[in-house]
This record gives sequence, C-alpha cells and structure tokens, in this order.
Amino acid sequence: MHPFDRAIRLVLPMGAVAVMATVLSVGWFTQPDRFARGYAPEQPLPFSHQLHAGTLRIQCLYCHSGAERSRHAGVPSTTTCMDCHKVTKTDRPAIQQLTRLHNEGKPLAWNRVHTLPDHVFFDHRPHVKAGVACQTCHGEVQTMQVLTREMGMRMANCLACHRDPHQALPKGSKITKAAEHCAACHR
Amino acid sequence: MAEHPIPSPDTQEDLPRFWRTLEERHETPEARRLAEDEFLPAALDPADPPPSGISRRNFLGLVGAATAVAASTACDRPQGKVVPYTRRPSEIIPGVANHYASTFQEGTRLYPVLVKTREGRPIHITGNDEHPGVRGKTSPRALAEIIRLYDPDRLKAPQADGKAVDWSGAQRRLMEGVQAAVKAGQQTLLLSGAVLSPTAKNLLADLKKALPGFLPIAWEPAESESAREGGMAAYGTQVSIRPLLDKARVILSLGADFLQGADPEAIRAFAGRRKPEGQAPPNRLWVLEGPMTLTGSNADHRCPVKPSRLGAIALGLARELVVRKGLALPAGVSIADLPEGRPAEIPAPTWEGLLADLASAKKEALVLCGPEMPAASHAAVHLLNAMLGSEALEIRRQDPLAGRKEIRAALEAMKAGRVGALILWGVNPAYALGDRDAWSAAAAKVPFRAWIGQIPDESAATCQLLLPENHWLESWNDFGPEELSTLQQPAVAPLYDTRQGEDILLGLLRPGGGGDTVPADYHQLVRDRWRRECHPAGSPVPFDRFFEAALHDGVLRGKASPAAAMPLLGSAAVQAAKGAPAGGGDFELVLAPGCHVHDGRYANSGWLQECPDPVTKTTWGNPLSLAVSDARRLGLKDGDVATLSVAGRSLRVPVVLQPGQASGVLSLALGYGRETGSTARGVGVNAFPLLGPDAASPNLRTGAKLESTGKHVELARTQAHFRLDGRDIVRSQTFADLAHGGEHKGHHVELHTLYPDQEFPDHKWGMVIDLNACVGCSGCVLACQSENNIPVVGPEQVAKGREMHWIRIDRYYEGDEENPSGTVHQPMLCQHCDHAPCENVCPVNATNHSPDGLNQMAYNRCVGTRYCANNCPYKVRRFNFLEYTADKTEPESLAYNPEVTVRPRGVMEKCTFCVQRIQDGKVRAKGEDRPLRDGEIVPACAAGCPAEAIVFGDLKDPKSRVSRLAADRRGYKVLEELGARPAITYLADLRNPAQGGHHAG
Repeated sequence: MHPFDRAIRLVLPMGAVAVMATVLSVGWFTQPDRFARGYAPEQPLPFSHQLHAGTLRIQCLYCHSGAERSRHAGVPSTTTCMDCHKVTKTDRPAIQQLTRLHNEGKPLAWNRVHTLPDHVFFDHRPHVKAGVACQTCHGEVQTMQVLTREMGMRMANCLACHRDPHQALPKGSKITKAAEHCAACHR
Repeated sequence: MAEHPIPSPDTQEDLPRFWRTLEERHETPEARRLAEDEFLPAALDPADPPPSGISRRNFLGLVGAATAVAASTACDRPQGKVVPYTRRPSEIIPGVANHYASTFQEGTRLYPVLVKTREGRPIHITGNDEHPGVRGKTSPRALAEIIRLYDPDRLKAPQADGKAVDWSGAQRRLMEGVQAAVKAGQQTLLLSGAVLSPTAKNLLADLKKALPGFLPIAWEPAESESAREGGMAAYGTQVSIRPLLDKARVILSLGADFLQGADPEAIRAFAGRRKPEGQAPPNRLWVLEGPMTLTGSNADHRCPVKPSRLGAIALGLARELVVRKGLALPAGVSIADLPEGRPAEIPAPTWEGLLADLASAKKEALVLCGPEMPAASHAAVHLLNAMLGSEALEIRRQDPLAGRKEIRAALEAMKAGRVGALILWGVNPAYALGDRDAWSAAAAKVPFRAWIGQIPDESAATCQLLLPENHWLESWNDFGPEELSTLQQPAVAPLYDTRQGEDILLGLLRPGGGGDTVPADYHQLVRDRWRRECHPAGSPVPFDRFFEAALHDGVLRGKASPAAAMPLLGSAAVQAAKGAPAGGGDFELVLAPGCHVHDGRYANSGWLQECPDPVTKTTWGNPLSLAVSDARRLGLKDGDVATLSVAGRSLRVPVVLQPGQASGVLSLALGYGRETGSTARGVGVNAFPLLGPDAASPNLRTGAKLESTGKHVELARTQAHFRLDGRDIVRSQTFADLAHGGEHKGHHVELHTLYPDQEFPDHKWGMVIDLNACVGCSGCVLACQSENNIPVVGPEQVAKGREMHWIRIDRYYEGDEENPSGTVHQPMLCQHCDHAPCENVCPVNATNHSPDGLNQMAYNRCVGTRYCANNCPYKVRRFNFLEYTADKTEPESLAYNPEVTVRPRGVMEKCTFCVQRIQDGKVRAKGEDRPLRDGEIVPACAAGCPAEAIVFGDLKDPKSRVSRLAADRRGYKVLEELGARPAITYLADLRNPAQGGHHAG
C-alpha cells in the first residue's frame, strides 16, 4: 500500500475519531447543568424541607424572609427555628442539638447548596415581587427530604427566563420581558 | 516630562487659554505625546516583573494541568458554608444597609455624619442630613475615616514595656503610675488634643479634683497659634471665627483657604451664592495671598502678595475706607496709626475695585485671614470686620488651647523632674514638636509615661504603657454647643481589645478598682449628663425614648443662646496689627497643615495620601511650591531637590513650580515625613522642625533660603495625566456675559454618525456638573473611592500614571503663568456616551450600552485588551495593570462595599454612575409599586459634593432637575465635536469680576 493511502485509510479516520471524542467530551463536561443537578451535601442537622414546606405547608418566606426585603433570601437564624422547637419535638436528638447550639449562642453552619460567583449580584426582591415561584429556580423544595440542587445558577438559565418569562410568572402578569443588560446583575 | 528644560517666559502669541501644566502651555513635544497616548508611556512599561514570577509559558502549562485536575474533581465540589445569625438583631437584615448618626471630631472642628453599615460593619460615611448646618455633607477627610477604622497598623491590645498585658493589668499599671506621682507630690500631665465634649470636660474636671497635681493640656499642633494671638489682641480672649458665607456679598481672603474642604458649610454657602438663578446677587471673592491656595484658585480677583505684608495691607484698606469712603473707625483707633497710600504690590485698579466693593457691601462684606498668617494680619482683619460691621461672621469664645508657651513650660517641668506621670492621648509630640531630641530628653525624666492612641507612633516609642484606643466609630461621646448638640455613637463594636480614651481615664477615678459613685463606663457618663442637662424637665417623654430619638437624629436642637457681643479692643488690635514680622531675606515660607494628612494624623491613610492635592496635584508627598519666576532664576524644575534653610534648620525637599505663587514665597505642607506606620513611613518630609518659636508667627517664616542640590526625584503627580486633546474642554464666562445674551461662542457642529441612535425605553441616566459651583475640594474623589472599592496603588504606580480613581479633578489655569487670571476645576469621569467610542472597539463586547443609558462594563467578560481606553477621548478608563486587591485581607477588606465587585489584575474599569445605587433604587420603587422619584438615586460623588455641583437623574423625564439643568444656556458637552454624545453636561464656570476692575488681578 502506498504510504499516502495508508495515511488516508488509517490516520484520517483516527484523527476524525479523536476530534469527535474531544468535541463530545468537552460538550458533555460543559453542558449547562452537568455538575449542578443533584448536588445534595449532607447538612449538620437533618432538616427536611419536605416536612416543613411540604407536609406542614410553612410558607417559604416565613424562614427566608429576606427575599422580600433584601437581595439575599437568607437562611433563618436559630431563633426562628426555636419559635416552634421550644415546644415541638423536643425529644428528638437533632432538636436537642439545635437547642444546645442556640442556648450556647453558637452559629449553625449549613452547607451551601446554591451559590453564585462574586461578580453576580442577583436580587431576590423583584423576583418575589413579580410572583416568580421559589421553585422556578430552587426546584420542588417541598418534596425534598435533603435539599438538592435542581438547576445550575448559570447565566444561560437566567437569560432563558428573562427573555421569555411567561412560564415563570403567575397568570395575568403584565411582564413580558425582563432585564437583559449586563449592569442588571454585574457591577 | 520633568527632564525637559523649563520653557522660557511667554514669547509666543498663540498660547492656549486654558492649560494644566507649564509644558502644556508651551506645548512641548513631550506634552503633545501625552495628549495622543491613552496612558503615560511608563504605564505600559514592560519592565514590571509579573508579581508571581511565573513566565508566560509556565503559566499556560499550569493552566492546562489545573484544568485537567479541575475537570476530574469538579463534580460536587463543596460550595462553602452558610452561617446565619444565631440570634439576628432585629434591625439587621443581611443585604440591607443601616445608617447610624454620629459625630467626627477633628481638632476643634465637628462633623455630624451618617455612617452606612452592612451586616454590622461601617462601609461609607456621608454628612448627617438632619443637621441644619452641614445638611448631608462632610469633609473629604471625614469620608476617608472608613479606611482608618480598618487600618491594619492599629494596636490590638494593651502593652506594658513591650509585652502584651490584659486591660485589668494595664489599668492597674496606669493607676500605680499616677498614684506614685501624686504621692511624690509631682504633676500628672495629660497631653491631649482639643477636648470639645462637655462630658469629657466634666470628666477632666473630676480628675483634677480627685488627683492632686493633675494637669490637662489640650494641644493641636496644626491649629494656628497666630490666629489665637490675633484674636487675643483684638478681643482679649481666645475666639473662634465662623464665616457665614450665605450672608456675604463681598469676600476678601487674606491667605484664608476656607474652600479647602475642611468646612463643608462654607463651600455650600459660597457656591450657593454664586448660582446665577439665585435671588441674592452673586458674591465676589477677592484673594490676596502668597501661596496658591484652592480658595485663591476660585477667586474673581487674585493678587499674589507676600504674606508678611498682609497686616499692613489690611490696615491700609482700613485707612482708605475711613478717609475716602467715610467709614467710622472703632473706638480707640486713631487715623494716624494707619499707613497711608496704596501698597506697591497691588495694582491700582485692583485696589480701587476692592475698596469700592467693600465700602458698598459694608455689613455684607467679610474679610477672612488665613490661620497661618501672622497675628498682626489677624488683628488687622478683626479691625476691618468691625469697621465694616460685617454680619457674615460669628465670633465666639473658644476654650483655650495650649500654645508654644504652655508646651515649653510643660517640657521645662518634665526636664526639671516636676512631672511624675505623663499621659499622651491622641497627640504625637515626638513628631509634631519638631524636636525629637528635646522631647526624648524631657520624657526620659518622667518616671511613668503612658500613651493612649490607635496606631503606635513616634511618641509611643518613648512610653512604657501603650493603651490602644477605640476608633471614634467604636465610641460614645457628645458635643455642644447647647443650641445644637450632636452625639457620637458606635457604629461597630470595637474590632480589637481596645477601650475608649475617656473610659481609660475614667478608671483613674476608681482608686481601689471599685468606686460606687463612679459610673460603670463613659457611655453611662454621657447618658447621665444628658439626663441631667438635656432632657427637658417635666417632659412627658421618658428619658430612654428621648435619648434614643436624639441618637437616631444625631443632633438635638436646644435653646439658642445669642452669641455674646464681642467688643473690639480697638487700640490693642491696631497695635498688634502693626507688629508684623519683618520681611527681608530671600524667601518667605508658609507652613500649612497638609490638605489631606492634616497635622500628620492621617498620614497612614492610603486614600488620603493618594488623593491628589487640589492645587499642585501631587500625591504621596509634600514638595515645596515656589513661583515659576523664582524657579527659573534658581534653575530649578519640577522634582529637583533643593535645600531649604530657615534660621539654622534645613531640610532637603523636592520642588514644584506653582503658577500663581507670589514671587519670593515658598509653601510647604505639614504632616508628612512620618517615621511610623506602614503607609506613612518615609512619605514626604517633616516640616514641623521649621515652625517658628514666636507665637505671633509660627507658620510664616521670613528669611528662608533655597539652594539647588542638583539632584532630582520622580514626583507622584497626576496633573499631566490623562490629558484631553481638543479645544473648548473647559468654559468660563462672566456673570455680565451671561446677562448679555450668554450664549457661549464655541458651538460645534456635530459630526454625522454611522451608528443608529440608541433607544431608551424607560430611563436615560445623565448628569450635570456645574463648574461654577465646583471648588475642587476632592470630596467626590474620596466618596467614589469608598463606594466603589477603588484600590490604592502607591506612589510608584501613580508616577507611572496608573492611579485608579474613577473620578478625577482636572485643574486648568487660565492665561498668565505667573498669575493665572482664573482657574477652573473640572471633575472628569466616564461620560456614558450614547455613541461611546469605547464600546465599538471591544473585541469581547465587555463594554456596551444599557437600555437606560449606562455605558456598562462587565468585568468578568473583560480580557484586558485596553482597546477601549485607547479609544476613549475623555481618558477615564482605568486598567488594573497589577494585582492591587488580592493581597487585601481583613481588616482592610472589611472596608469594601459588598455591592460592588472587587476587580482583579488585567481588567478594565471605570465610573458606573454607581449602578448599584441605581439598581437598588429601581428595585425599591418596583417593590412599592411606584415610579422612581427624581433625586431618589444619588451617586456617591454627588452625595459627597459639598458644593452640590453634581446633579444626577433621568434625562428622559423632562421635569427632572437634571433635564432642566442640562438645558441651561451655560450647558455644554466636553469634546462635543466628536459626536460621542456624552450623558454629562457641564455648566460653564462663571466669574464675577468687579466693574471696571481689571479682570482678575
């Protein structure tokens, strides 16, 4: 076989396969929610959103009250937990642990599930005001025993909704578009 | 640029009307090149080693390896912790700022302020808008207090003999030292700064009663003693003068720099009376001075004279006002005491115009004398004001401050062994006395020496016991006067194991450690006094509620006690006024507190060191200013080092050529040349040793000599940086021009554009900057630095043209270089052009236009090509040439505004119109279902401007203040001819020269 033929028959397909493999693997690794979905770190206390938000139907804003008044929704202070757990389920070891921390004035450090890079300045207030359900970004939290990330906080996800927000908005909302310019989130 | 010989005096015909540097005036090739390049050539210097020492090739290799490692481990990487409050204080919502009213004391001045805190840490300071005087404004130095709170050099725990001790041990040691002095029958000397708080005064009185031999001395090395001497002569007591510039139609300044920034009320009142739409006739400012001051640069008429002559000139004015204008002399003054004739250095038209103006304005006239001027001129000015019957000033008795005599006596007592204990509280005599050896010798004779302060200084090194003090943002206090009391409250708990100075002294009242009659802490003492003296008797409001309301407002209006009439002692005043220091010698030297570092107490503040001096535009240092003609004569140019000698003392100092400086006059700032503090050490030279021994004229020395050393240093000076290329950048006209039509001649036809017009559906943000109101104080620069996390880059970087300020103040002189006929200060910042030249050239679209008219900058998209800066005609883009922020850790990083990204190396940045405030305002309005109100969004620069020269708002709303001002006939856009359509409209500067008076000197 002529060396040139060998090159065409062997090297070219191998090269093509290598290129394909590279494209596919890069694509797979960088697909928007590849690393995001399913992240569910173990928490210091076995808090269940399924119980509190699902079964007991406590409003999200009862604990995450910052979402209406601040950029940050916030994680409740242990005082908020103790509003109920002074009297509720005080026999459970987890509640006893919570009570101990609270009485000692020690902070309860949760493992962060949702995070944004430092150059992103997301603001909960206008989203809550517009009637966007918390579940739109945070997933069906009320069904989660362990809080699990459903959606990556990526700009593509933000923009998809900002360009066509009607699915996330309550019926009858007059909003047809949301901000798409850089300074809305980056500053 | 400094390498070029100084151009010879004006010979060409076609010189530019406005210029910033002598080189620009004569258009040297170097200056031409600076106009053409976007950065100084040095800024692009490749000689800078990469800080990490990694080569490009290694770097790429590492990136590859790191990516591979990251890709294999990236799944479910930990995202960090969320730590909520255990017990959230009800007033704190994470992400929402709280504001606390407080008061900042600097020497004998008080600044009522609002402190913005986020999650409990102070991040920004503005003036207290509840205070009727400052109305939301404050001084640039007060703004910069944030960075001083987080100064990493602060002493974090008490020390005794170089070893850390706890507070009970430290307090015991202090008590023992003082008790030993009492037992030995020796004095306990407390050397402190001015004590203005009534509660602190009570505390000192109690200490005096409890401790025999306790002697408090209040000493402010930067407060002028000659002003006090002049006041003593004229009124028989120490007085303070407060100008009421809103009532002044004619202002004559004899070397008084009242617009320098330290007095926001004065700037507001001065600028407020120059608005052409105002009801009252605009004021006219006459300035006779030696050095070029910021006030001089704002004058309608300025005449350079030697400061030693000011007393005689003022007396000459008094005589002419009596003889020719029929004003009455005060009792006890005879006309024979007053010198005859016009002083030779003042041109006849200026003299006549000034006389006519003063005589016609009478009680609406105000004469002010520079604190650094000799006592004689102060006495003469008191005489003039009394003759004119000026209603534009308030004279009050002042608590005595120690002068040279008292300090010298204290040093003698120390040397003679009469002092058993010495407590230094917030003062630094080892530095500010200007004689380290004398201080050390005297201090060595005192058995017990304690130091109370924040950053260990030169004096701390001479003390055994170091007691770290709270910053005022961590302290309680209260201040008078009775008709308008202000409170100081902590905006943050002490960051370190420190105590408030008053609390430390309070410990001296408890000999056994107990003491039941003594309140637990100073806070209690303040509350007790307020309960006793401020809470109205029989008020239905309980005291706690009353005090809380006062704390909330920060001010409390009380009964106004009319200022007691202060009769002028005519004959004593005129005698003092004639005792002017003899002129003669080569030069007169004026020593004034540094515009930003004051008496050296702020020398460790990077923000203040890097903020350019408003006149010389020098940062990081105090070069000696001298007249251009004197420099030519001595063969000196900018940055040349000269030997300055006065009365046997000499120091080597670089010089700058200062247009407008009187020939034969030198000026040098105090407060530099510190030997302690990681930022302050070695910056500039210490001018305190040059202060004179004579209390009548310590800050003005005659007979100074100047010799070239042949050496040259690079000055970190910003005046030639970022030169705009084009004509008609600043506009200046007179009130008379404005009345007669007013349309400025230089109107340009805009070039046709190929780009489609931008569309603004809801808002179009814009700004109007009134050059007539701007006095150049730099308040905006520091407000922006604090709000937008602007890094401090240091003197070497500034010299290369890499300073990062988003807003700069370009200072343009007009006309003659020996005595410019005017000066215009032009704040220059991103113009947010509709057709922004920077946007078109960004290869990654990191900078583009927002639908509300902002030229937005996405840092995370920027790859650092710098094309945008290259294409920006306004030269307002700043590039992070080096990593200025990554090494900032706590406590410094606590000063950052959490709403603004901290930019890393390799990223371009610029003014955003404070987009974080715009976004917050929009979201708040949306939350309340209402449209945005005009004036609701105020960027930091506008909020920090005491002259209210900056107005921000929505140009789409025709009724907004900014829209109306932008349509003003004085309005113009800088470099309008380029067609970039900037969103900032400048209003032309206005001058108010006297009719017939030869324009500006």
